[in-house]
Amino acid sequence: MKKLIFLCLAIGLFCIASVASRGAAADASAADVKIGLMAPLTGSYAAEGEDMRRAVELLAEELNKAGGINGRQVQIIVQDDGSDARTSAMAARRLSTQGVCAVIGTYGSAVTEASQNIYHRSNILQVATGSTSIRLSEKGFKLFFRTCPRDDDQGKVIVNTLLGMGFKNIAILHDNSAYAVGLAEEARDGLNKAGGMNIVAYDALTPGERDYSAMVTRLRGTSPEVILFTGYYPEAAMLLRQMRATGWNVPMLGGDATNNADLVKIGGAAAVAGYYFVSPPMPGDLDSRVAKDFIQAYRSKYNGDMPRSIWAVNAGDAFNVIVEAIRNVGDDSAKMAGYLHASLKEFESLTGPISFDAKGDRVGDLYRLYKVNDSGEFVLQPRQ
Amino acid sequence: MIRRAAHQLRRYRARSVLGPERYVFLAEWRNPPRSGPSGLGLSVGLSLALVTMLLTLPSVLGLYWTDLVNDMMIYAVLALSLNVILGHCGLFHMGHAAFYAVGAYTTAILATRFDVPILLTLPLAGALAGLFALLVARPIIHLRGDYLLVVTIGIVEIVNIALKSNIFGLTGGANGLLILNPISIFGHEIVSPVDFYYFILLILAVTILLFYLAQNSRFGRALNYIKQDELAAESTGVNTAHYKLAAFVLGAVWAGMLGTVFAAKIETVSPGSFSYAQSVLLFAIVILGGPGSITGVLLGAFLIISLPEIFRDLQNYRMLVFGAAMVAMMIFRPQGLMPPGRRRYKVGQFLGRFPAGAALRRNKQLEGADPTALTDPADLPSLADLANGEGKGR
Repeated sequence: MKKLIFLCLAIGLFCIASVASRGAAADASAADVKIGLMAPLTGSYAAEGEDMRRAVELLAEELNKAGGINGRQVQIIVQDDGSDARTSAMAARRLSTQGVCAVIGTYGSAVTEASQNIYHRSNILQVATGSTSIRLSEKGFKLFFRTCPRDDDQGKVIVNTLLGMGFKNIAILHDNSAYAVGLAEEARDGLNKAGGMNIVAYDALTPGERDYSAMVTRLRGTSPEVILFTGYYPEAAMLLRQMRATGWNVPMLGGDATNNADLVKIGGAAAVAGYYFVSPPMPGDLDSRVAKDFIQAYRSKYNGDMPRSIWAVNAGDAFNVIVEAIRNVGDDSAKMAGYLHASLKEFESLTGPISFDAKGDRVGDLYRLYKVNDSGEFVLQPRQ
Repeated sequence: MIRRAAHQLRRYRARSVLGPERYVFLAEWRNPPRSGPSGLGLSVGLSLALVTMLLTLPSVLGLYWTDLVNDMMIYAVLALSLNVILGHCGLFHMGHAAFYAVGAYTTAILATRFDVPILLTLPLAGALAGLFALLVARPIIHLRGDYLLVVTIGIVEIVNIALKSNIFGLTGGANGLLILNPISIFGHEIVSPVDFYYFILLILAVTILLFYLAQNSRFGRALNYIKQDELAAESTGVNTAHYKLAAFVLGAVWAGMLGTVFAAKIETVSPGSFSYAQSVLLFAIVILGGPGSITGVLLGAFLIISLPEIFRDLQNYRMLVFGAAMVAMMIFRPQGLMPPGRRRYKVGQFLGRFPAGAALRRNKQLEGADPTALTDPADLPSLADLANGEGKGR
């Protein structure tokens, strides 16, 4: 008897919930343009997902106040991808049954990958916002775009920065992690191809150690004019500290894994001062007028909070390009994709001008050069 | 049901000499139960209806709900495989995602690097996961309760970190591997949720059948015995280390094979899918549904996987609702929603086969006395005999 009651309760709960969910999905009028947002609202990147949702909802609200797209209101349908491949596939299935013409998202590369095939087969345009894995745009999906850079873009930007600095001898150091090795190889190959720079050392350190003085001495023996370290911030900080302690003031450059406030805490402001790193700009450093207006509106709407990272602002970019495409060619996914591939050029959006190449990757450098100043602040350097 | 049975049958409730669990023996030598044709007809009709319903379900549900049912079935099979270890043998194992991961990655690596057809990798994934379980479980098999729990959490973490750091350059790091070729059965490619529905339904049906048979076999009884009282089991000659290890390997083989199905369905494997949280989810399905009970585990999988999806449109609150539902269930049903029923045996089958049973029959013949008057548990076959596989279950 007890079993029966519980079974009935469980089934009842199921029924109520499914009715509730149908009701929630049915309240949009047919004239609305529906855009899906797939974001990690739960799981390990919930904070990023929340910022993505806030950014997109803010922009949609502003757009609807201004009259929508050619008189049609925009409705955002948010689904949680749970920072997890399986949940993301379910979110994609759900969105593809909810009549969206395009989907924004999502953050993690593996999570995006699990949803890609589903959108591809359901003929829905997808604009990813934080998924930097190279593979995503190499599958030949015509409806896939992204407003974030690819993993190999950073290496190119590092090479250009180094070439622009005018040094002759360089030492490259990584920490054997997949990320750091990839970046180091990218930079090495790029420099070799460009010519004019001499790689005097190519070595790896063991992350997590306290003493890198042996490595510092060895590097010093090869007398480089600049050091490229592709690893993470704790090792970068320790390296800088031990270099400066021995009075060696060689310039050092790193990747976006060193963009962390703890770099200064570990290394000390005096040692870290003058360190360069390449990173996507932080939301507060965006300098275009569109971006400044957006950040101001964001702060006034959400109690003075800033978007935590650039990836949430990229979700705003994705929204803007989708709206621009619908405004010009309507909400047919193939036409929208054609427009984004061919006609959208230097579209002024939050993180700078946006164009897409034939694979749907964003053209142009999102990465910017930062320098640590004497008081330990990260200062955005002007574009060269 | 039981009350009705009590009218027909004499019921013995005997406390086992060795174990704390009470076992009910239905003595039926006086009034053998009759299975009426009407009852049989009803059950045939019911099962036909159930089969028809299961076969036509995807056309009713649509792609999204079908895919949800697919996920539910995958987790049901995974939880059933964990149920062998956790439910039947009582080993607190919270690292099941590790075996699942070994299977999924075996498939992904073989399919992407060596172009092996996915279906062929299914047994290989199971075998490798089983071998992996054998290697890691052998040194820790003597650990009890929470100590084992901590070690198994360690195992799943180690596997996860190894996958993330692109071990041997095979696993593709945090982004994982992409599977390009779908499962193909006689030239028919399994791609859409509906294809997967029938494929996974078949696997689920086979799993339920095999695990049902295993549960009522000598193996299943030995696992239950270890769960109830390991010392008693060992003292009556059950090789506990051997059986515990066998439970681990069986559960892992199944989880490994499901890894193949998962990899083929999601088309990409990445470390995030095999996190500690996944292990906890599987653990929760078994504990919530009723450890040791197949129907309980099926219900648990249904609830744990479907609730967060059903509440999907509540957005941020969905996990809150889900969590509250779980807390409520654990407060009101700490033994699980559908705990396994007591094992039932027909005493008549045992008569004459054991000294105790022989004594019983002798008593009956010599004294002409009512055998139900004998209430001394020592006269009945003990749990030890059953676990040793001397008696026939059911």
